[in-house]
Amino acid sequence: MATAPGITEKYIEETLAHEQTSLWGDAWRRLRRNRLALVSTVFLTLLTLVAIIAQFWTPYSYFTQGLGPIYQGPTAQHWLGLDQSGRDILSRLMLGAQVSLKVGIGTQLVVIVVGVIIGLVAGFYRGFLDTIISTVINIFYGIPDLLVALTLVLLLGRSLAIIIFAIAFTQWMNMARLVRGQTLALREREFVEAARSGGAKASKIIFRHILPNALGPLIVQATIGIPMAILFEAFLSFLGLGVPPPTPSWGAMAADGFHAIRISPHIVLAPAIALSLTLMAFNFLGDGLRDALDPRQKR
Amino acid sequence: MTQPALQVKDLKTQFFTDDGVVQAVDGVSFDLHPGETLGIVGESGCGKSVTALSILRLVQEPGRIVNGQILFKGDDIVTMSDEEVREIRGKDIAMIFQDPLSSLNPVLTVGFQIEEAIEAHGKVPGKMALSRAVALLKQVRIPAAESRVHDYPHQFSGGMRQRAMIAMGLANSPSILIADEPTTALDVTVQAQILELLRDLNRDLKTAIILITHNMGVVASLCTRVLVMYAGRIVEQGPVEQIFKDPQHPYTWSLLQSIPRLDSDRHDRLLSIEGFPPDLIRPPRGCRFHPRCQFKIDRCLHDDPPLLNVGPDQDAACWVTMRRALASNGERRG
Repeated sequence: MATAPGITEKYIEETLAHEQTSLWGDAWRRLRRNRLALVSTVFLTLLTLVAIIAQFWTPYSYFTQGLGPIYQGPTAQHWLGLDQSGRDILSRLMLGAQVSLKVGIGTQLVVIVVGVIIGLVAGFYRGFLDTIISTVINIFYGIPDLLVALTLVLLLGRSLAIIIFAIAFTQWMNMARLVRGQTLALREREFVEAARSGGAKASKIIFRHILPNALGPLIVQATIGIPMAILFEAFLSFLGLGVPPPTPSWGAMAADGFHAIRISPHIVLAPAIALSLTLMAFNFLGDGLRDALDPRQKR
Repeated sequence: MTQPALQVKDLKTQFFTDDGVVQAVDGVSFDLHPGETLGIVGESGCGKSVTALSILRLVQEPGRIVNGQILFKGDDIVTMSDEEVREIRGKDIAMIFQDPLSSLNPVLTVGFQIEEAIEAHGKVPGKMALSRAVALLKQVRIPAAESRVHDYPHQFSGGMRQRAMIAMGLANSPSILIADEPTTALDVTVQAQILELLRDLNRDLKTAIILITHNMGVVASLCTRVLVMYAGRIVEQGPVEQIFKDPQHPYTWSLLQSIPRLDSDRHDRLLSIEGFPPDLIRPPRGCRFHPRCQFKIDRCLHDDPPLLNVGPDQDAACWVTMRRALASNGERRG
């Protein structure tokens, strides 16, 4: 290459070698600028740590009753007080975080696997298959969530796995519909046509070109789906149909405390506040991710 | 004469819409010889892009190839299995598109996409694929290809993106490259560079090129032969010089008249073709160009003109032809 005097190859290289900014790098930069989302991320990281620690250590055993006077308020030994059976609320709250996170994340994993596959198939192949899938999705939207979940739990039993499955059963269509819509739009994009003209196989086109481009909205949907699942589980537990006792769940703890809300509100307040903060954190994070992953918002 | 690299015979591609059947390509036939540069020109919606897509069987529902043959190495692409066509795509016949930004996947690096194009036709070890990608980027004259290979499409300029697309097209050394409006989305100086690159590739690699464009100037600078399409049909074809010097179809003549010229009197108004391309669901009877033709005779209204030889290697589908039209005009004036 002919270059002007003084401009060396090296100079050109250095000028051209600029900062590598990827889509995800950009997104992370934008997410960090969103203070609420950042605080939520920190909170959720701490919550996850607490949930992991609870697996190995809690201040007291979560099921030992009569650790002190029942309905006792917060003290130096028991920071969040004792419940109606004299169990340590802090220990139970820590373990409850585990249940909530397991349900929230577990449900979304099932939802992602089912929803993404169904959505990709319906959106990519269209036609008859899409008609059937869309009809099924609409039927599922028509059935009340609680009815489906309650029936499944009553029929199959009360275990964590079944609760995750039951909640996923009421949520998968959100993801399927989102992914279907994204796929329908993306399959018409020119880079898909370009890939096809280059002789790419259908599986390559779906997983290399369509799915990665739908990842942003997919992650946002999953993040918004987590608090929905957590709330659903808390609700089931509140009704007495959640994870079987003595495993503490925030919903069940709130239900326990609910009876004594006048004399010792701390029993219901502790899980309720924990639940609210967690739900808010996930929603703020979802909102932040939505903004961060929107490529049109280049700030 | 050598065996054609590609033979298209009486190709008809139609779109079955709710409003009726759109006859987008209606009986197109042409040969492409090895190493040839063939231009296909026409207005928007005349069927030139659909012709190109049909060659690789990339026409999507509700479009369908309803008739004709596309012979490549003796096999008919129209009747091949999907897997056989997939093997030809990108390997023997590659295609580049109009807008290089939207033709590149925004979430994958340019190098990765070129490597993928290489690997679409047989496994290649990662290292070799990468060095081949770098070599291809160098071939299309992207500076600092070694570091640029790891860039994302948005870090490339418009011209570089089109070069990258061409590099992807060349990944498997195809014998035919179809370029669908490769310069339309680029500014003029970059256009010239891309055309020069295509010309060099044609000369050095002997890749036959089908260039689809609405720009007569682009055809003139790259192609040796040109097909002029109107309303889904070929209305004129021949060597570029011949067509530019002595167009016989009134449509070709009008297209050439509507190119702005530097040497024209500045008070002359730029000629444009009156009217719009016809509705291809219900094309006009007779010659499809007659509603917009200023030289039409009675016969044009109900008789469809076939493509007839009008000069050495030159065919035109017109009852009048410019030679006679201009002669009679001259008589009238004289």
